Amino acid sequence: MASNAQDNHAPLRAQDGKKDEDDEEDFEYSPFHGIEKGAVLQEARIFHAAQTDSRKCQQVLTRLLYLLTQGESFTKNEATEVFFSCTKLFQNGDANLRRLVYLIIKELPPGSDEVIIVTASLMKDMTSNNELYKGGSIRVLCRILDSSLLQQVERYFKQAIVDKAPVVASAALVSGLHMLRENPDIVKRWSSEVQDAVQSRNPMVQFHSVALLYQLKSGDRLAISKLVSSLTRGNVRSPLAQMMIVRCVARVIADSQAYADQERPFYDFLESCLRHKGEMVIFEAAKAIVELNGVTEAELAPAITILQLFLSSSKPVLRFAAVRILNKVAIDHPMAVSNCNIDMETLISDQNRSIATLAITTLLKTGNESSIDRLMKQMSSFMTEIGDEFKIVVVDAVHKLCIKFPTKFRSMMSFLSSVLREEGGFEYKKSIINAILGIVRTVAESKETALTHLCEFIEDCEFTYLSTQILHLLGEEGPKTSHPAKYIRYVYNRIILENATVRAAAVAALANFGMRVPSLAPRVRVLLRRTLRDNDDEVRDRATMYLKLLGDDATGEQQEPTPRPKVLRGQNVSLAGLERCLREYLDTPMTEAFDMAGVPEKELVPVEASKPGAPGASGSGDLSGDLSLKSDFEEALQQIPEFADLGPLFKSCDAVELVEKETEYTVSCVKHIFASHVVLQFDMTNTIEEQVLEDVSVDVDLAEAEAYEEVLTIPATRLPYGVVAQTYVLLAYEQGTMPFGRMVSTLKFVVKEIDPSTGDEEEDGFEDEYPLEDVYCSPGDYLQRTKISNFRNAWDAQDPDTEVVDEYGIGQRDSLQDAVEAVVETLGLAACEGTEAVPPNARSHVCLLHGRTTAGGSALARVNFGMDRNYEVAIKLTVRGESQDVSESLHAIVAEG
Amino acid sequence: MGFLSKLLSLFGGGSKQVKILVVGLDNSGKSTIIHKLKPNAEKKTSVPTVGFNMEAFEKGSLRFNVFDMSGANKYRSLWEKYYKDAEAVVFVVDTSDKFRMCVVKDELERMLSHAELEKVPILFFANKKDLMNAMSPVECAKYLELETIKDHAWQIVHSNGLTGEGLSTGIDWLAQSLSKKK
Repeated sequence: MASNAQDNHAPLRAQDGKKDEDDEEDFEYSPFHGIEKGAVLQEARIFHAAQTDSRKCQQVLTRLLYLLTQGESFTKNEATEVFFSCTKLFQNGDANLRRLVYLIIKELPPGSDEVIIVTASLMKDMTSNNELYKGGSIRVLCRILDSSLLQQVERYFKQAIVDKAPVVASAALVSGLHMLRENPDIVKRWSSEVQDAVQSRNPMVQFHSVALLYQLKSGDRLAISKLVSSLTRGNVRSPLAQMMIVRCVARVIADSQAYADQERPFYDFLESCLRHKGEMVIFEAAKAIVELNGVTEAELAPAITILQLFLSSSKPVLRFAAVRILNKVAIDHPMAVSNCNIDMETLISDQNRSIATLAITTLLKTGNESSIDRLMKQMSSFMTEIGDEFKIVVVDAVHKLCIKFPTKFRSMMSFLSSVLREEGGFEYKKSIINAILGIVRTVAESKETALTHLCEFIEDCEFTYLSTQILHLLGEEGPKTSHPAKYIRYVYNRIILENATVRAAAVAALANFGMRVPSLAPRVRVLLRRTLRDNDDEVRDRATMYLKLLGDDATGEQQEPTPRPKVLRGQNVSLAGLERCLREYLDTPMTEAFDMAGVPEKELVPVEASKPGAPGASGSGDLSGDLSLKSDFEEALQQIPEFADLGPLFKSCDAVELVEKETEYTVSCVKHIFASHVVLQFDMTNTIEEQVLEDVSVDVDLAEAEAYEEVLTIPATRLPYGVVAQTYVLLAYEQGTMPFGRMVSTLKFVVKEIDPSTGDEEEDGFEDEYPLEDVYCSPGDYLQRTKISNFRNAWDAQDPDTEVVDEYGIGQRDSLQDAVEAVVETLGLAACEGTEAVPPNARSHVCLLHGRTTAGGSALARVNFGMDRNYEVAIKLTVRGESQDVSESLHAIVAEG
Repeated sequence: MGFLSKLLSLFGGGSKQVKILVVGLDNSGKSTIIHKLKPNAEKKTSVPTVGFNMEAFEKGSLRFNVFDMSGANKYRSLWEKYYKDAEAVVFVVDTSDKFRMCVVKDELERMLSHAELEKVPILFFANKKDLMNAMSPVECAKYLELETIKDHAWQIVHSNGLTGEGLSTGIDWLAQSLSKKK
């Protein structure tokens, strides 16, 4: 192979050499230098010649392949052109040329209707006597055959698998692996031939056949474990194949249930592989052992010993592989790895910085308290030599270490602060800051040191984001320290020296000092007054506001500071509510001061409380996106007098588009569910400039949703171009039921044309209708996704008589996780106790769901999922609810959907 | 390699290569004819060709590189990709299939009107003469209006692909007109 590649390049090199012979000796250059698509396409014309020059054609093909691998894109025409000219090269019998032709057919993908043209030629090659032809054509054929054609040539594939020539056998086996995806049924018929191929003397054939055999059986656990046990007993010589078996074994072990008291199956085999001749096998076995589920120290020991030997190997690859695995193990089993510490320490000075980084971080994980100081010292010198991404790894490791040994925070803090002062990118600095903040959170006494380091850092920090974050932290934490005064200088320096964003943050921090520490207030006032003449609006505004809060009327006269003002209630205020209150206030004569107490507080989500009080970190803006949406709807609805007495809004469903995109009018529907009413809100947009719509309403036909009764319709009076307007339909239903059905809806309106020249609308309009897609109501609309912590109790609390059980097939799914998500979405319930996550490779799963009904009761569902070999998913749905009706409604959702 | 091929051309291998396109409807006997033309061909039954097949045989001083195209309906549009540098065309007609003679005519017209087909000689094999209801070459020529072909030298030969009858007559004519052209 390699020698042939050389041949192909040689002439190229000679050609180029003529052009610049002088430069040639100076540097090594690529034979592919300066290849251009246009030129190569021109050259490709020689393929058409009656007398093909095999040598020249090979060169051109090599260039084409080079372009393809460089990611050069060919237009459809170019690709077709080149492809067909290449097919003419089948007339030349040169094996090297033919191989390149195979490659180009594979790499250059013409349309599937065109590529079929080479089928007959390839089939002929496959049945020829030339091994090189056979192997190559098989590899191409597997790309272009469809299942009907494959059946025709199936027997040749079978013959090829047991072919004496390893090239052919390997090609057929690998093709089998590829085709297994598209035509599993056909390839499965080859298993006896593949079984024979496992006995081959050629290492590569053996490897490929083991891989294919494993794939063939991979759907069937029992067959797999049978296969693996027969393979582990058999004498597989090829190291590659042996490694493959180790991987299979690892999978089998992972899939099989582990019992604590029982010996792990195949563990002996893995251990025996540790004594194999091939390093590849040894490593794979060690890796498999290390990654075993719930591996014990005793099981780990032999693998670790082997890896320790690798650590002192002369090959960098082995050292890297070993140290990487040990690094992973060190998280869960630091004790097991600590034996390797001596070897690991020599690796810190390894030439390869990746190895060194991994070694250091492993040591940090396994190290004991006494060795930390020494390590820190070694690391400081080492940090300058590695790239940012490695530095981040090290910093994270230090962070973790500090949590483990809080008493050592001093040396770690000084390490962090020293690296903080060095050059580095944003990500790196951010991770250091995060590490410091993390340490502050866990080790209380480290706070003052940390703050001092941070103060020094912001003196010379180029990242606005980090500066503001630290200033916020200083404002929060600084006043609580023993000497708050010393931080003021650092903060004020920022006001003098930095950009507007940082200045504004500094003003806020400064004001915090003034408010929390009364003794500092006068000094802070002086400083704030200086910033009143800042040239940035935000900074001035903040300074003015804080001065007021600190009781300064800008005349220098001292006042009693106002008690902690309400504005600082901070983020608990609902922004939408605040805006509305302010608007209302602006409508009044504004004789009285605005009263903050009237502003509704944002509903606090319980999650927020459990969040660690990360100072200045993630804002709380995104806490309750959908919650505020709901309250927005509620507010809007409450302003309509007709809806005022419907009671509290239970749920607003997601908006559903009722027309295709880019039509004359766009209409979407939102269903608002109340205790005994449903409000259909239609948001409409008129996209025709020459029209104004008036008296727009939606006519809902309830023929197929008899449980509802139409109460009233509120039309939109006017819908000009490009404006969103709403019309509402109020439906009543019997309280406590969950009616569902389909409603045929039509948009009705009066159209008035607008004269495009004058922009005036015509006096008289005409009535018109516009059909909309149907509105569906499903029982899921009456359920609120609410999680509960103890499903068992809630389940038992429900009346068993309400239980309804049924089974459904829900068709093919990519994975069980997919199916679970789909079912949870359709049912409109929330998954409890983390059952929405399916463990990988699971074939069955149980999902626990809960939701709240309009009447305030519960609806609980237990869904058993099962998946067969063809990815067909079946579910068994068991429902209990407040009443039989609720349970049956839930079944109706699945039956309908 | 270069030296070797030179050597080869010195010693009798110096046959001139010509590219020939074999077309015709499906099941008209193209692959059978080509197979028969090859020396030392063992007997075998042909299966429908998918795409095209590449064959070669020698006749006199000429080495024929034959593109045996598939005649199936969906692949006929691909013939044109090979018109460009074909030096001769062999058009095989199934004379027993009167029913599809109009399709043959259509395909022939389409081929003749194609811009990339040069003024190459066209050899028609009125194949399957052994069958009872076979048309004679004259009838064929008349039906296909071969006399209207002005741009190409053409010849129609009655043939039987299974026995090889008439094949050498046709190929001889082709070899003759090809060497005349050069």
